[in-house]
Amino acid sequence: MDKPAPTHQTKTPTKPEALSREERQKQLEFQKEAVEHLHSLYNYALHITMNPNDAEDLVQETYLKAYRFFNSFERGTNCKAWLFKILKNNYINRFRKNSKEPGKVDYDLIKDFYHSIKDTRRDSSEADTDYFHSLLHEEVYQALLSLPEEFREVIQLCDIEGFTYEEIANMVDSPIGTVRSRLYRGRKLLRVQLEEYAKKYGFNTGKAQ
Amino acid sequence: MNCKTARVFMSAAVDGEISFKEEKGFLSHLSECKECCDEFDDAKKTKMIIKERIIQFKAPQALIDSIMQLTNCST
Repeated sequence: MDKPAPTHQTKTPTKPEALSREERQKQLEFQKEAVEHLHSLYNYALHITMNPNDAEDLVQETYLKAYRFFNSFERGTNCKAWLFKILKNNYINRFRKNSKEPGKVDYDLIKDFYHSIKDTRRDSSEADTDYFHSLLHEEVYQALLSLPEEFREVIQLCDIEGFTYEEIANMVDSPIGTVRSRLYRGRKLLRVQLEEYAKKYGFNTGKAQ
Repeated sequence: MNCKTARVFMSAAVDGEISFKEEKGFLSHLSECKECCDEFDDAKKTKMIIKERIIQFKAPQALIDSIMQLTNCST
């Protein structure tokens, strides 16, 4: 009979005035440093979990953990990179273990999700007649999803999130040289995929067959 | 620099992760190799496509609220 030991404090809502000065300081700093990356983290979570609910859970957990361990964040370094690393570890520990096997992606689900949300970003350089500009985000996204995870990951971290090679190397636990070559190969694979889409829609890709 | 080495530096050159010296060698190779030159253009373009075409969503308000609550100290 496991009787829950009542040693832990019962949940009393922490009133701001009840917080120590140190805690307040921490909150302020956390707000300033970490919360601004929420949208990026959510997007990345969405990309790796392929599920809006899981993405929310993952981000929530990440922030909880980040807040708890905020003292170990090295001031002056990239907080976004630190948060991404936590998110990635959380994902590996919790999601990948017991959810879908890698490579088994619910394309329909993510496609529906994409359709359900209006494109908030407007295209700036529509004047360019390059065939790539006729590709829709769904197609680009599908192309990205079609890559093996190790390539997709570095492309996302580099091209979407704008991390440096050093930050990416740290996140994926690989040397910079590996990041470099994965990006090289990943972009080549992606290029092939994009050309497939372009061909499908009758655009001349300018490549001799 | 030969094609093989140029390919090692290709992504680094696209992403501005290349040293001045490496870049000099890289660009000088491109100036005399059409194939690598095309590949470099393709890689740059592919990066642009990803940057421009992947939509960034806004996090749901409920999520923002719950995280803000975690760090809420003003009120």
